[in-house]
Amino acid sequence: MKISFSGVSKIFEPDIVALRDINLDIKKGEFVYIIGATGSGKSTLLRLITRELLPTRGNVYAGDYDLRKMRKADIPFYRRDVGLVAQDFKLIPTLNVYDNIAFVMEAMAVPPKIVEYRTNEVIDQVGLWRRRFMKPAQLSGGEQQRVAIARALANSPSLFIADEPTGNLDLKTASDVMKILLAINAAGVTVVMSTHNQIIVNSCRQRVIELDQGRLVRDEQSGGYGRNDDF
Amino acid sequence: MTTFRYILRDMGRLLFHHWILGLLTLITAAVMLWILGITTLFSLNIENLLSRLESELVVQAYVKKDANHDEAEQKIRELNSVYDVKTYSPSESLAKLQEKMGNQSGVLDLPGENPIPWNFEIHVHNANDVENLVKELSAMPEIDDVIYAGMVVQRVSALSSVSSHVALIMFILSVIITALVVYNTIHISLYSRREEIGIMYLVGATRTYIATPFVLEGTLLAFLGALLAVAGILMTYFPGVSLLQENLPFLNTSLINDYNIITRFCFLLAGFGATLGWVCSYIVVARFVHSITRPE
Repeated sequence: MKISFSGVSKIFEPDIVALRDINLDIKKGEFVYIIGATGSGKSTLLRLITRELLPTRGNVYAGDYDLRKMRKADIPFYRRDVGLVAQDFKLIPTLNVYDNIAFVMEAMAVPPKIVEYRTNEVIDQVGLWRRRFMKPAQLSGGEQQRVAIARALANSPSLFIADEPTGNLDLKTASDVMKILLAINAAGVTVVMSTHNQIIVNSCRQRVIELDQGRLVRDEQSGGYGRNDDF
Repeated sequence: MTTFRYILRDMGRLLFHHWILGLLTLITAAVMLWILGITTLFSLNIENLLSRLESELVVQAYVKKDANHDEAEQKIRELNSVYDVKTYSPSESLAKLQEKMGNQSGVLDLPGENPIPWNFEIHVHNANDVENLVKELSAMPEIDDVIYAGMVVQRVSALSSVSSHVALIMFILSVIITALVVYNTIHISLYSRREEIGIMYLVGATRTYIATPFVLEGTLLAFLGALLAVAGILMTYFPGVSLLQENLPFLNTSLINDYNIITRFCFLLAGFGATLGWVCSYIVVARFVHSITRPE
């Protein structure tokens, strides 16, 4: 899925400017890192793509949708094509791993047999087969993150949004998560990932978009974390 | 069909998750709907009694000696409040009176002309109309005198009015309390799952898919409460009616004691309970889901 930001600004009441005049194009099938200090606007940018937020000025386009003008009834259908992985995992604590993943497809009225097959498939893909009947609280941070990734994969999305997916993970687990994300991207899915992890950005070179106080200050193909790669 | 299966399963999960709250809602709804049902039946019985009394309420109008009684009858029949008019000639009236007097009818053997004029026995639609009817009759040039049971009319009207007001107040209170309890239960249910609802919406569940299990939960609780209320009414109403009929025999023909009518009433009550549950749940769910899924 292709994404475009056209003159996008986001101001939270009363006067907190999260993003200022962002112009950006992300091509279909690209892997993009969004980097920047805390409060630079990374999460706001991702939440504009998932349409949790609306821009104060400008427009955001995703695929065939103008997200500002999108009808309410179209939002769920758009989101089914967007796999979302949040830093806090956003898993439902009362459901086990299997049900956390399955309910995304159930909401689309997918027949139970297909739900079962596809859920088992993605659980296996992220290496959680033996944990499939455990509740989120019984899993480690890395495992919860993998459940979130499996859930995002369940609907075979064409856009994958990951908001600091390695933020709470050790290097080994973060590396495992990155392998999964790169594999997803290799299958033609657009991946937009915000991160603070310099090692990952520097070791898996992809397009880097850097934000600073809501401004886009760098857009570099195969870039590293630092402006001069000095980390 | 698949979606409906998932929705029913989610509703089951909701009921299981908050079963104590659900049970309390069920009991409260049952008690309030029972009160509503019994109050309505009481009111219907009072109305029945009043309509019987009203049907027996008669205004007697006497025609002046020199007036045309046919014209007077025509005028009376044209009045809106009049349900029926029976005309009695002087001789018919005398015979009727003699029959009423029985053994003492000898006192009516008067010499000379029969003093009773042509007169009308007038039945009204509604006891409240009697006062106006009497005024209208008194104003007619053909009418000499009007006789009616003034105090009875006033008391019947007052009883009718009080009964209607009490029934209305009880009805409103029962509906409000039942609605509030269902509303509150669903609101707590929603609030405890607000994070889950947010996540569901974020990963592509439609509002309808999210909201329907909650609406069904509220509807089912109110419907089951109504069924309990119906059972309670069937167990208490008929013994109550029997008791009244034994102790107050004059009420025999005024009390609703037809099993078919009561059964139909119970069906209505169950339907009303389910509708009330659906409306309350729908309102609270629509408001909640709207607020939680609104983009900033």
